[in-house]
Amino acid sequence: MSLETIEFKVAGDGRAVSLARRAHCGVVGSGDLEVMLEPKAGDSAVSVRIVTPVTGFDALWKRVVEHFVAETGLAGLSIEINDNNASPAIVALRLRQALAEAQA
Amino acid sequence: MPNWNRLQKNSFLECSARERAVGLVDDGTFVELGGPFDRLVSPHLVALGEAVENDDGIVTGVGRIGDRPVFVISQEGRFIGGSVGEVGGAKMVGIIDMAIDFHDRLVADHPDLPASARPLVAISFETGGVRLHEANAGLLAHAEVMDALQRARHKVPVVALIGSRIGCFGGMGFVAAATDAIIMSEFGRLGLTGPEVIEQEMGKDEFDASNRALVYRTTGGRHKYVMGDANFLVDDTVAAFRAQLAELCKLPVASFEPMRRIGSPELVEKQLRGVALAVELKPTDARDVWRHAGNNDPVGLADGPLSDFRKSVRRLAL
Repeated sequence: MSLETIEFKVAGDGRAVSLARRAHCGVVGSGDLEVMLEPKAGDSAVSVRIVTPVTGFDALWKRVVEHFVAETGLAGLSIEINDNNASPAIVALRLRQALAEAQA
Repeated sequence: MPNWNRLQKNSFLECSARERAVGLVDDGTFVELGGPFDRLVSPHLVALGEAVENDDGIVTGVGRIGDRPVFVISQEGRFIGGSVGEVGGAKMVGIIDMAIDFHDRLVADHPDLPASARPLVAISFETGGVRLHEANAGLLAHAEVMDALQRARHKVPVVALIGSRIGCFGGMGFVAAATDAIIMSEFGRLGLTGPEVIEQEMGKDEFDASNRALVYRTTGGRHKYVMGDANFLVDDTVAAFRAQLAELCKLPVASFEPMRRIGSPELVEKQLRGVALAVELKPTDARDVWRHAGNNDPVGLADGPLSDFRKSVRRLAL
């Protein structure tokens, strides 16, 4: 019983859409998660850090975030997620919600 | 950041902690301190392998209502039932102490500063009390918040706002009782032991936690208003809570003393009269107490619109 930390980077597809400002959304309730997006300087990659009590879903996390980055063209930001058993659909929804708030 | 004007019409019951914090103070004035980007995560939850949250379920910050600096604490019930552990408790204490320090400096520099420009603390409760995962650290956090309320007394008024889903129970029920004034909606619930816990410990015959009418007439805003445990009963909108808070913002700290429930020999006497009444009356239901307070139709009063209730209700005199 320990928290799993998954860290990886996503290169992006060269469109390099930058984030206007940082954003936070969601609550780590049962089946939900907290997402923080923050612009970062000096590196065009998207850094990802996920903290979750669930193990064995690293590949799925990576696919969900890669899809989000490909869809939005984002670059040069960090994504941090605190998760509590969220499904991939909820993860994708929260990522889009956080982005909408950062660009509102 | 949520749209302030839209937020005002929203149900207070359904708002998140951050929405309540933003909506209670003037438009655009709320600044979050110790927010999620500061990553104040509970080390106890990490050690237990439990999911963590970067604000530990409590929003803290400062805004303004008119000229008055309002230090805000807002609890998030969706994160582990709004439970208060070491980090959340420290955030609460930090904001209350900040309000006290700010008060002392302001008053030292400007002794003639009107009451309406002196700091006030507003706590939006949504909590079952202590976070059991954090054991003694959580209990200690409660004691430290109580200490902070004592330090604030006669300086910085502390106002409790209770109208969120979880209600205000457990050790935080004590904390709310130790504030200077309590604003509730009829959907707000306040108590020490929550309905589910009573049922679990004492059985369904003692208390049926699934009986919503029973739960509300025992712990809900209307009952607490009759009993004098809540000072104000407002509609379930952010605007209504905010309007009542804004009214209190006009008052000097001395005006809060008569609104208190604990903290003086006179109030102890009053509590003892309440105990004596309970022995004499032997109430089996909240309705018995309502009737004793002079409400001849407690059922009709409980079921009718809130505006009618506020107009015609008789509150318990002790």
